[in-house]
Amino acid sequence: MSSITTKLIIGATGVLLFAYLILHVIGNALIFFGPDLFNSYAHMLLSNPLVVPIEIGLVVVFLIHLVKAITMTFQNQAARPAKYAKKVAAGGTSQKSLASSTMILSGLALLIFIPIHVKMFKYGPEYPYGASDVRDLYRLEVENFTSPLVVGLYAMVMVVVGMHLWHGVASSFQSLGISGPRFTPLIRKVGKVSAIGIAGGFIVIAVWVFLFGARS
Amino acid sequence: MPAKTITVNLKVWRQPAKDQPGRMVDYVAKDISTDMSFLEMLDVVNEDLIRKGEDAIAFDSDCREGICGACGCVINGIPHGPDAGATTCQLHMRRFTDGQTITVEPWRAKSFPVLKDLTVDRSAFDRIIASGGYISAGIGGAQDANSILIPRSIAEEAMDSAACIGCGACVAACKNAAAHLFTGAKITHLALLPQGAPERALRVVRMVGQMEAEGFGACSNEGECEAVCPKLIPISNIAKLVREYTRAWWRGTT
Repeated sequence: MSSITTKLIIGATGVLLFAYLILHVIGNALIFFGPDLFNSYAHMLLSNPLVVPIEIGLVVVFLIHLVKAITMTFQNQAARPAKYAKKVAAGGTSQKSLASSTMILSGLALLIFIPIHVKMFKYGPEYPYGASDVRDLYRLEVENFTSPLVVGLYAMVMVVVGMHLWHGVASSFQSLGISGPRFTPLIRKVGKVSAIGIAGGFIVIAVWVFLFGARS
Repeated sequence: MPAKTITVNLKVWRQPAKDQPGRMVDYVAKDISTDMSFLEMLDVVNEDLIRKGEDAIAFDSDCREGICGACGCVINGIPHGPDAGATTCQLHMRRFTDGQTITVEPWRAKSFPVLKDLTVDRSAFDRIIASGGYISAGIGGAQDANSILIPRSIAEEAMDSAACIGCGACVAACKNAAAHLFTGAKITHLALLPQGAPERALRVVRMVGQMEAEGFGACSNEGECEAVCPKLIPISNIAKLVREYTRAWWRGTT
């Protein structure tokens, strides 16, 4: 497989994961409207027969993104066996940043985070919401975010998510060959704004739940 | 304006031959006119080395006016040095200050083995071109002007890509030592023009295949290549390469 095909696959799976994160942060934001709305939204998702195939699809997309990125990183390192004594960023029109230089590291950090995250929420305690068969995920979220340590670590991981998106969003489209004199500057801005919006959104929600969640 | 002279401390990669160990060696370049080009400064250093009976620093150069693509080294960590849109030979010593330390290294990539000191073997680029970067369709004698209609904007775009001089700075700057900007410029140039159309799909498949076989890395879309390109070729050429490659795949070209 050529490096272009590899990057097409990483880009396409990246766009899908980006779309998932947008839905995820919007869904989480419903917590601001109280347990009724939040739990009924979660129930709507969980009771949908398509949720299992979609979850399997998400895991497959995530694994493809990951495996392709890891194998590509080894190939990239092999392409430059001898390092420079001195190498600096070229500046000018270059998009190189701390985020772009650490994509594999931020990605691997998320690989550690996501199983813990899924264990804490999806496979966390099953509380019934009132007398209904609706799962009380609101209560679970409040319980999970009672520890300042958990909230702090969670916020740090969300910064890593934001860094991955800072480069990853615009980079995905370039990898797919989608580029143009108007589109490229636009998607670079959209990528950075959504990186801040998504990471910031998750952090604000966690901090809000930590501060005010139990009172509602 | 009276010529100013400066003294600079050089750290230069010295390697006696291919596959031999090399190291950074310190030299002092004294009384260098700021009107000199970077390569002229190296000439002065070499004359001094030759007078002392030492081995001169090997580096490539030819036209010394930024059009041939022969010269190129990584100067203070940036291919072709600090100036945008310029080759190493177009860099002048007025860009440096008296007493400054300057590191000078060859392009570093598995596909560009160092031959001696600052010279590298860039024949990987020649093999990429030979794999498809040409037009073999017979097009007869010289056409009358405007007998092949090409919109001016397309002609300009093709010319911007054709400006590539194959110096290799894109590979040198890329953290993955990828050759996508070089290959993308060649593909874009020929894909935009009617003369390139008959071999359009086969060309991209073959050139990408050769690029991979040479051991270059993948594109991480950072755009360091664009920033160091002496001809300012943008990474939109890489997106075009991806589209051309996808188009060829869609049409079943192998």
